Amino acid sequence: MTQGSRLYFAVTLMCAFVSIHGVGLNDLLERASQLSDKLHSISTSLTNDLDSHFPPVGRVMMPRPSMCHTSSLQIPNDKDQALKVPEDELLSLARSLLLAWSDPLALLSAEASSLAHPERNTINSKTKELQDNIDSLGAGLEHVFNKMGSSSDNLSSLPFSSNSLGQDKTSRLVNFHFLLSCFRRDSHKIDSFLKVLRCRAAKKRPEMC
Amino acid sequence: PQIMIFLFPPLRETAEAMAYSLSLSLLYLGLLCGNGPVYARGSELFTPDPSRGPHFTGCRSREQETFRCWWSTGTFQNLTEPGALRVFYQTKNANEWQECPDYTRTVKNECYFNKTFTHIWTSYCIHLRSVPQNITYDEACFTVENIVHPDPPIGLNWTLLNVSRSGLHFDALLRWAPPPSADVQMGWMSLVYQVQYRIRNASHWEMLDLESGTQQSIYGLHTDKEYEVRVRCKMSAFDNFGEFSDSIIVHVAQIPSKDSTFPTTLVLIFGVIGVAILLVLLIFSQQQRLMVIFLPPIPAPKIKGIDPELLKNGKLDQLNSLLSSQDMYKPDFYHEDPWVEFIQLDLDDPAEKNESSDTQHLLGLSRSGSSHILNFKSDDDSGRASCYDPELPNPEDLASLLPGHSGRGENHPLVSRSSSSIPDLGVQQTSEVEETPIQTQPAVPSWVNMDFYAQVSDFTPAGGVVLSPGQLNSSPEKKKEEENEKKIQFQLLSDGAYTSENTARQLDVPPSPGPEQGYQAFPTQAVEGNLWNGEYLVSASDSQTPYLLPEAPPAPILPPVSDYTVVQEVDAQHSLLLNPPSSQAAISPHTPNKHLPAMPTMPMGYLTPDLLGNLNP
Repeated sequence: MTQGSRLYFAVTLMCAFVSIHGVGLNDLLERASQLSDKLHSISTSLTNDLDSHFPPVGRVMMPRPSMCHTSSLQIPNDKDQALKVPEDELLSLARSLLLAWSDPLALLSAEASSLAHPERNTINSKTKELQDNIDSLGAGLEHVFNKMGSSSDNLSSLPFSSNSLGQDKTSRLVNFHFLLSCFRRDSHKIDSFLKVLRCRAAKKRPEMC
Repeated sequence: PQIMIFLFPPLRETAEAMAYSLSLSLLYLGLLCGNGPVYARGSELFTPDPSRGPHFTGCRSREQETFRCWWSTGTFQNLTEPGALRVFYQTKNANEWQECPDYTRTVKNECYFNKTFTHIWTSYCIHLRSVPQNITYDEACFTVENIVHPDPPIGLNWTLLNVSRSGLHFDALLRWAPPPSADVQMGWMSLVYQVQYRIRNASHWEMLDLESGTQQSIYGLHTDKEYEVRVRCKMSAFDNFGEFSDSIIVHVAQIPSKDSTFPTTLVLIFGVIGVAILLVLLIFSQQQRLMVIFLPPIPAPKIKGIDPELLKNGKLDQLNSLLSSQDMYKPDFYHEDPWVEFIQLDLDDPAEKNESSDTQHLLGLSRSGSSHILNFKSDDDSGRASCYDPELPNPEDLASLLPGHSGRGENHPLVSRSSSSIPDLGVQQTSEVEETPIQTQPAVPSWVNMDFYAQVSDFTPAGGVVLSPGQLNSSPEKKKEEENEKKIQFQLLSDGAYTSENTARQLDVPPSPGPEQGYQAFPTQAVEGNLWNGEYLVSASDSQTPYLLPEAPPAPILPPVSDYTVVQEVDAQHSLLLNPPSSQAAISPHTPNKHLPAMPTMPMGYLTPDLLGNLNP
């Protein structure tokens, strides 16, 4: 018992030490981009699952993507712009987006179990996985931010005020699908920004990009 | 309405206007976008449907920086002139519809959006309109990242990793480079690759897992087969694969030498081991039987005779019958003994004799009148059967001895002798010829008593055999009175003759001059001959030569001396004892009558009929 507790203590100490002095920025960004890649792939598969049995009428009712609640955020739209944006701004953008989705994802995971969809269980599990990944990525990006040593922390606030997806099951399904598609796009944005950041930071090791 | 409120919380003041426009547009979409997807996530370039009106066939982006859209006129042939159909697009930022920035000149019905007009993470909607009639034939909405189909990778090549030990398989390492259009270095696009290979001209492609790097190994390829390999890529977490790269051929020639020998030696070794194991198993399982086959039990000596089990357990009458039928000590046993040859002579009675000697028969001569040779019984018997066979000799054989029968075609000396006063055969002193052979019948017992060996002293020039009489001793002295000159003559003459003294006595020497002269010429040498005779059978211990008869040469009357004696014993010095030392002097008489009964043991391999007679149960 004492040996086990001693080991545990040592491990936690080491972890704390490592986390404080930490790994290098490149490794952090590498890890962050991996997480974001995973986030994006989960959201893609979730969208595909939803699409498999999506009623045609839902497509008609689907709102346009510009109606996502994060659409107001000013982001670079193409590659040239994205390459010109400074790193800390990219990071803050990524962090803002990430922050904007913690509440909606909570709603989605709450509603996933009662969806009128045959793939409900898969959707439910994947939604939960999304939620976990977002939390870990948020924490990781905070480390990156601290590592980068930016002076100001200008995160945009993107509120999400709805607390229900709808009243009838069709609208719920449609809204669910819509939110998910918005999230998928935003996860791609996060992923792209982080990859750009990673490649920009790893100039000495171009093989990483 | 609920959706509107849900989506546009911060725009409540313009909610009504927005709601109106949006509902209108949705209605419009619902009316017109029956077939095409509202949000073309992954729009493919599908083949134009000729049955339809003008429609979009697809939009694609190669590098996530520009994109193109294509359409077809469909069945409306009157709209083929350029400018009849126009493309308008609308992004979410601007609400007005803008026309296609660049209608590609080289390609028909293509609209190209360059970098300036391409916005990522922006949804686009494009319309295909005919402006004069103000009809929108088709519409498509998408976001750019969803229509990205990367270019194929470039620089596909392969290297040999290793070849298997058997030379049948090899591993190859494939390398390629990302498409130059995709900006992977800046991280703008993250690509994953998929390698496919197949045996050349096969129909089915083998697909490997997605690879995010730019190299991959293929394991387990067969040598001597040509493989086609190609690679394609897509954006990670998106579904749109780009085009395949050009195929390359992967081929490794088979090395024949190692192949051929290695498996065959292995097979040989395993085969031998398997056979050995089988043999061992077989031996162990069939141990008992194999032991009998390969190491047969030494057979117990098969003593011809009585079964020992029967001896142990059999009944008495069975044993008796068995023993009687065994004939082990019967005279039949005698028949098989080849070296035992018996000359049937009558010891006691000189009358009985066989006219021709055995040697004469051997020499193949027929002695007519000049025979001093004993005549034996016919050769059929070899002189043996009648010896110990108690039955009477075959009368026919005896009759053949008669002159009338002359089975041999020779003048039996018996005949001649009989003419000249044949001495009696021991029973009768008749000169009848006919009786002589018959008289041999009762002479059989006297034959038994006869000494069967006589020393051949010399051969006559005519081929006859001169026999020396036997050893002089007291026992035949009783016969000395009977014999006269003849004995003397014979004693003088015979030198190592192969007759007994009895027969010598019996021999009636006819007064024929020639050969007899030869015979009679011998007496001068008789002494030496006797001396020589004496050496024949006398043992070393016996200083006296029994055949040396100091008185023999001068004495006309000599008792018949047997030149052969029966070897009675062998003493300790391995000398032959002709007489048992207790009974007599060195001279051993020939009378089997005396000795044979006194003989305690059987002589060495010599059995006289007397012995046989004694032994017969």
